[in-house]
Amino acid sequence: MSVLPFPSFLDDVKEKGLKRAVFEGINEVTERLTSGMNVQDIREALRGEPASRKPNPRLQPHADGFWLHMRPSYFHQSVTGLYPTFRLGWLSTYFVFFETITGILLMIWYTPSPDVAYQNMLNILSAVPLGQFVRDLHRLGAEAMVLIVFLHMLRTFFTGSYKRPREFTWFSGVILLICTAFLSFSGYLLPWDQLSLWAVTIGASMVEAAPPAVVGTNLNLLLRGGPDIGANGLLRFYLLHVLAVPAILYIFLGVHYYKVIVNAHSLPPREENIGEDTAKRVPLDKRVYFTPDILTSEIMWLSITTLILVILVTWFYHAPLETHANPQVTPLGTTAPWYFEWIQGALKLGDKVLWGIVFPTIVLVFLMVLPYIDVSKTRRWAHRRVAFTVCLVLLSLLVIFSYMGTARFGVHNSADTTIIHQMVMTPQDKDIGKLLPIPYDELVPGMYTTVQFDNPADQADTVLASFNKTLDNGNYGIEGGQTIQTYMQNTQLIPFASMNFTPVPSDATELVDAVQWLDQQIQANNQELLNGWGVVIITEPQHNLKRADVIITWDEVQLNAGHVVLDANGKATPVLDANGNRIRRINSDHVYIDANSQYFSAPGA
Amino acid sequence: MTLQRLLINRIEQRILISTIAFLGILVVIGWLAINEGGRMAAFDSEFTARAIEDGATLFNTNCSPCHGVDGLGSARAPALNSPLLFGFDYLADIHKQQSALKTELGLPATTDARKTEINAQLADLQTQETQAEQQLQPAIAKGYDPDQFNRLANVGWGSTLYNYIYSTVTSGRPVSSSYWPQPMPNWSQIAGGPLRVDQVQDIVQFVLNWDKGSNWTVDDLLAVQQFPKVPVDPATVAQLQQQIQQLQQSGGQLPQYVGETTSIDDIMKGLQGVTGDAQRGQLLYTGQTTPVLPCSGCHTTGTGPAMQGTWTRVVNERLKDPKFAGWTGEEYIADSIIHPSDYVVPGFTDGIMPPNFGSQLTYQDLADLIAYLKTQDQPSS
Repeated sequence: MSVLPFPSFLDDVKEKGLKRAVFEGINEVTERLTSGMNVQDIREALRGEPASRKPNPRLQPHADGFWLHMRPSYFHQSVTGLYPTFRLGWLSTYFVFFETITGILLMIWYTPSPDVAYQNMLNILSAVPLGQFVRDLHRLGAEAMVLIVFLHMLRTFFTGSYKRPREFTWFSGVILLICTAFLSFSGYLLPWDQLSLWAVTIGASMVEAAPPAVVGTNLNLLLRGGPDIGANGLLRFYLLHVLAVPAILYIFLGVHYYKVIVNAHSLPPREENIGEDTAKRVPLDKRVYFTPDILTSEIMWLSITTLILVILVTWFYHAPLETHANPQVTPLGTTAPWYFEWIQGALKLGDKVLWGIVFPTIVLVFLMVLPYIDVSKTRRWAHRRVAFTVCLVLLSLLVIFSYMGTARFGVHNSADTTIIHQMVMTPQDKDIGKLLPIPYDELVPGMYTTVQFDNPADQADTVLASFNKTLDNGNYGIEGGQTIQTYMQNTQLIPFASMNFTPVPSDATELVDAVQWLDQQIQANNQELLNGWGVVIITEPQHNLKRADVIITWDEVQLNAGHVVLDANGKATPVLDANGNRIRRINSDHVYIDANSQYFSAPGA
Repeated sequence: MTLQRLLINRIEQRILISTIAFLGILVVIGWLAINEGGRMAAFDSEFTARAIEDGATLFNTNCSPCHGVDGLGSARAPALNSPLLFGFDYLADIHKQQSALKTELGLPATTDARKTEINAQLADLQTQETQAEQQLQPAIAKGYDPDQFNRLANVGWGSTLYNYIYSTVTSGRPVSSSYWPQPMPNWSQIAGGPLRVDQVQDIVQFVLNWDKGSNWTVDDLLAVQQFPKVPVDPATVAQLQQQIQQLQQSGGQLPQYVGETTSIDDIMKGLQGVTGDAQRGQLLYTGQTTPVLPCSGCHTTGTGPAMQGTWTRVVNERLKDPKFAGWTGEEYIADSIIHPSDYVVPGFTDGIMPPNFGSQLTYQDLADLIAYLKTQDQPSS
């Protein structure tokens, strides 16, 4: 007779006593939740003991449960070590989920509109608790994922694991690589700062080169939502980033992993005879069961990897955020994201269609069909000399092209522009102007010149006296019939009542260093900047706000494609005006520095 | 070569490492969370600073041609680097005492003896103010009014200074051509101008950075090149012109206004010997002669007690009220016009009748109005 009008837990309590009924209830619930393992089974598994009942309850979740049916119930002992997988496939999967979780958190505070996107970033960084932490994790994870997926591909190549019967696994892997790179790239745009806008503008400009012109133009319009990246472009990149590409990625992740399980992880090449694939036939003594060994191992890696990422973003890495995106101002030395710099490098070789479209397409198609071209059965290193050679040549090219993609290669700006930029630029691409990190108190208002450092320190007073005389209170004549005074008033809109140069205060050591650096740069370019000297003028327009103007003037010399034309004696040739006089050129720029802006030598450090 | 499988071979060690790493994550995140408030505040001040820097560049390019490189204004636009914009009061002490005394003067409990005392103190303060204004004289000569020291109050702005500057920069000043050589353009893209919203915000941060708080000096005020010009109502100009005319006709005698704070006893003394003209009173009442009064706007429409039967009601109803024991009808009407809030007829709302007739009416005007209202002795409708 039941206690209640229907059979219930109370009947168990009545029959067995409370303690036993509760224990058995917990046991049963556990067994249902794990699809087959009760408390005792779990206890044994975690103690490393063999299962005490048959059939082996540890295999049951793989047969009956949803989550573990996706995982093999045992692995070959030879693939469970660091070699041959280096955990790279597992890490790639880890990052897929890691990026999804951190990405969803960031979505809560983000609106894909140029009007508010940047404001959203500032909000995430200044008003959302742990907002910076999550953003840093997402950004670091994205960059790490590109690297890890690429390394995973390299490993698969070196162990020959792409060979029959795993050709399609490789193929789906190449699609995942493309998805990863594009996810990372599309995410680049979302903060809507200068770095985003220009890196993506460069990347997306390749699309425009697609032949014929009608296709290129329209593809470009489709992707950017207009001739330039604006509100529509941002929304499209956002939707690609959070919806379309992740959907493709997840589908192919399923395909990829399904093929991995169906064919089993390939064994290290030396453990098999040539042409054999014994991965599916795992002898009993070589089996490493998922429960408990692989499971605990994966939990361990999960914790360790997460801890490493958390430590990195806490003390060593912060995602960059430059000034608000401005389509009107192209920063000097803009580059694509580092994983696309190889394409930017290739573009510098010449034709946009050939190097921007045909070349990357060939590379990708070559990667996809690799297992169908390289059909030799052997996976031994010694037998794959040609394949290895090709691979290493391609890797070297990748490195060389990537270097060529940086601003260091093949981009020539005039010396004066480059030097002034390096003095006053706001944080950009891990670089910052020399004047910005100087402690606020050391920016002593005054007028300083590099001429001071061209002469021995004890002559500073005489040198400056003579320099002040030359400058003639700013009436020093320059190009176009102007004086320094009128030039500064008209182009930089800063009128000076008088111009009097003094030695840089010796206790402002960092300011001394900066002016000295300016001097060194001008001297190092003394062919292009003939008889050049520089000036740094510091004023304080507001309380807690200083302004630094950097001016360089020099005698114009003949240039050919940006390079100085040298005469027989190796000297630069000055350009002369109609009257046979040298032309005194001038260039200048300025930066405002607030006492609280806390610029550091390395942004984000 | 045998590689160690699973790297960490013993399951206990794997579990131990997992646990330690997991606790490590919690500790680091906890540490971050503890410091998060400080970090966010630091970030805030850092980015406000960068906004000021960007704003400085934008101001230099776009605003300085009219407002001046140093923000002190020019003939084209008023100063922004000015204590007036930030509402700094150079006579704060005097203003505070004056305001307290005037409040006390208006209280019903204030005795006549005390009123005399207060008036003496006010006169003394007036002298002090005049003296203090001496050093501000060059600014006053340029249009600065030490009593109207807050630009936001002067223009009746109900929101923050940030919003005042932000909306001015955003949409410009369309109709200033009668005061300035050219109107202020609409700068923000949302108003059809060239600058992005964040750039306008940067400019506002830069302008706000001129605020010296309580540290404004007289030199700061004297450095100002140009103060704002306040638009003037054409009707006011016409009125002033008429007063000047009257002044010329009367041989330099300013009209004697009753005054808003004059006590009813003094008003009655002032009315002695002045004969009211009911006809002119009617013209005044209906707004057909100067000063143009709005009386009929309310008292013939039901917003205020009806004009018809005024005198009847005053005599039959109001003066029966013990509050007005010993009052005459003239006294009641005069008090109602000059001090409308002294007594509000039940069923009507206080604050609708303007309290400033005292500074618009001469004793003659008041006598005329009273004479006219005395003719309203028909039964109340």
